[in-house]
Amino acid sequence: MTSRRTSALVAAALVAVGALAGCTSAGGGGTAAGADTGELKAGVFLDVTSWDPASADIGFDGPYLSAVYDPLVALDKDGKPVPALATKWEWSADRLTLTADLRQGVTFEDGQKFDAAAAVANIQHLKAGVRSGQAYLNVASASAKDEDTVEIKLSKRDDALLYQMGLGRSWMASPAAIQSGALANGPVGSGPYTYDKAGSTPQSQYVFTKKQNHWDTATYPFPTVRLFPITDQTASFNAMLSGQLNVQFANAANLPKAKENGWNIASRAASWVGVQYADRTGAQVKALGDKRVRQAISHAFDAAGILNAVGNGSGTVTNQVFSVDGQVYDKSMNDKYKTDMAKAKALLKEAGYPDGFSVKMPMSPIFAAWQPAANQTFGELGIKVEWQDMAMPDYQKNAPTYPMFLAVIALAGNDMATLTDQVTTAQWYNPTPSVDAYPEVKALVEQVEKAEPGPAQTELLKKLNAELVDEAWWSVWYQADNTYFSVKGITVTPVTGMMFPTLRFIQRG
Amino acid sequence: MLSFIAKRLMSGVLLLVVVTSGTFFLAHAAVGDPTPGLLGNSATPAQQAALRARIGYDQPLLVQFWNWLSHAATGDFGTSWRNFQPVNDQIALRVPVTLSVVVFATALAAVIGVAVGIACGLRPGGLLDRGLKLASVVLFALPGFWVSLVLVTWFAINLRWFPAIGYVSPDQSLTGWLRSITLPSVSLALGAIVMVAEQLRNGFLQVAGQDFVRTLRARGLSDRRVTAHVLRNASPAALTVLALLFVGLLGGAIVVEIVFNLPGIGSLTQSASQIGDIPVLLGLTAVTVVFVVIVNFLLDLVLGWVNPKVRDR
Repeated sequence: MTSRRTSALVAAALVAVGALAGCTSAGGGGTAAGADTGELKAGVFLDVTSWDPASADIGFDGPYLSAVYDPLVALDKDGKPVPALATKWEWSADRLTLTADLRQGVTFEDGQKFDAAAAVANIQHLKAGVRSGQAYLNVASASAKDEDTVEIKLSKRDDALLYQMGLGRSWMASPAAIQSGALANGPVGSGPYTYDKAGSTPQSQYVFTKKQNHWDTATYPFPTVRLFPITDQTASFNAMLSGQLNVQFANAANLPKAKENGWNIASRAASWVGVQYADRTGAQVKALGDKRVRQAISHAFDAAGILNAVGNGSGTVTNQVFSVDGQVYDKSMNDKYKTDMAKAKALLKEAGYPDGFSVKMPMSPIFAAWQPAANQTFGELGIKVEWQDMAMPDYQKNAPTYPMFLAVIALAGNDMATLTDQVTTAQWYNPTPSVDAYPEVKALVEQVEKAEPGPAQTELLKKLNAELVDEAWWSVWYQADNTYFSVKGITVTPVTGMMFPTLRFIQRG
Repeated sequence: MLSFIAKRLMSGVLLLVVVTSGTFFLAHAAVGDPTPGLLGNSATPAQQAALRARIGYDQPLLVQFWNWLSHAATGDFGTSWRNFQPVNDQIALRVPVTLSVVVFATALAAVIGVAVGIACGLRPGGLLDRGLKLASVVLFALPGFWVSLVLVTWFAINLRWFPAIGYVSPDQSLTGWLRSITLPSVSLALGAIVMVAEQLRNGFLQVAGQDFVRTLRARGLSDRRVTAHVLRNASPAALTVLALLFVGLLGGAIVVEIVFNLPGIGSLTQSASQIGDIPVLLGLTAVTVVFVVIVNFLLDLVLGWVNPKVRDR
């Protein structure tokens, strides 16, 4: 009798849980069915880095910041700068002065007016910014010519400046908020949406409500935007399957399931994967200063195999860092380092390293997927690698101190930006650009930097690209795509350079 | 009883000081200079130095420790190195999420585990008892995240009874809150239910075989009253397991919070560890220790009430 009663109690408890679920599922809430496109509910891979545009990252901060800020310059889907708060601009003949006309009638959320003085305050703030400063390295000064005109003077010609500004380095914030340091607590912009702080849970869900009187209201079709930072891709995919999300930063491994569900799938090249050399002069490991050694390494890797095995086939096998969607990329050069271990060994022998050499390389959990292939390939080549394990923050900090390291590095959607990002400017992943040590490379870089933007510059960039590939400047295995799933009725247009596109690239349709 | 409570409180405070102090020095040793992680690798040395000065990282370690301890003693855990928001505010946002899930999971484990444990104790070798043995093997063999994923697939994706991710505050919607914590709690509770049930079942059988139970039966007490006596004597072990489970579930919440994308203290611990946000880590450690101390204190009180001999230890 007692046991029967206890069993009944257990059953009652289970039924109660089921009943709770059953009686509330009709109520909607967060689990409305798949094709709900009334509001945008996007799963972004990372949380917003900062509401202060000077401290924000470009990569995954785009959707968050684009909801609440207007940029001075925006980009179109091909990475071409297009007007935003700057309605038009003009370069001086020497391309050292940029003069921009500004939109009138724009106000920030705190009532401050957007004008040339505000633009100048923002540019100065962005130039001094810890993360944004990288885009303004060549900016000497900014000044207001009149209320609606701003003038930016450069210390050195920078053909990638407008692109960098459009990529996420020209969000305009209220000058009063900049002055008071209030941006650390929340955004104060003039963007198309208002941040609903009360309805949001930082690091979990950010809610934005559309402004009715924004100057570019037609570009933003969703009355409400909810952005969910979800680092676990399985959780994100489950949320998409359950209807809680209608757009997600996706894992290419889920492509078959996405097709089965009839979702829209958008992919575009986003990063290059391979071996980055921090020591092209051979200062640490003499062998790496010899281009035949670097060429041998390029020949040794089975890039297509790695792309299929690790990258789920989502990308393009290439040996170039200029985006496969850009003008400089040359498909015909992709055969230059066909996988050929015999040739690789011959090149090493020719360089004077028939038995290989020893090298230390850093390793972090997020690169573990590529480690077996790298270990095996280096081993077959006779290069003895001593892997040094470290956590990801330490990897970013320490990797450039090693002569070479495995890398996944963001691509630029602008060919001149590729030149500065990957070759000429010191970055965390490229601490000592060694252009000066390679006269042919240096000469071409100088020609490119002096050339007239347009076809002439592109032709020179192609020559430079060929030279860099010949020098095996990097051992690029492939360019990996970023993939986005969206339900029917919503389209995402990926933009190379933005790990997650800004809201102007998420539309109905 | 008062001296018993005073002793337990003193040992709790001592534990709090020892654990948080240890965490302070361990975290500093493990993280090293936090500025590259906090500012990104494009930060200049001047910008890094400015941040070090702002967060007090340029001061000797013992000075930093004293500053932290003296503020923590007043309940102020400082500001996050990542966003300069008060640590207390961040934790206050997160604690309800984790507590909702862990308390619900513990309650499920208590209610279902006790019911199943008693049922199995009353009928050893019965169908339910054999089912419990099988469940204990199967559930302990399966990884927690896998169980979570199965629950999500069935109840969130196929049936759409519950959300796959996210947390709804009870202020916003009570049913929304219950729905948002049900799957995470159940996935945490499954193993705990089996543990409590097994513990109670074994304790029940052990006590049921003792002389005093035979005497009670010989005196003609009803089955119900005999069972109540057996249960009272068998319950301390199960209560201890339940308290330990609560503490264990606090740790296990990290995996569940990631799978269900819940903004709890588990996911905050993970993100603070990744970027080396030591004030947040210390605040989280302190809060977790306080929970552990409270739970153990309550356990001691209950055990002391059940068995007065415990109070003398």
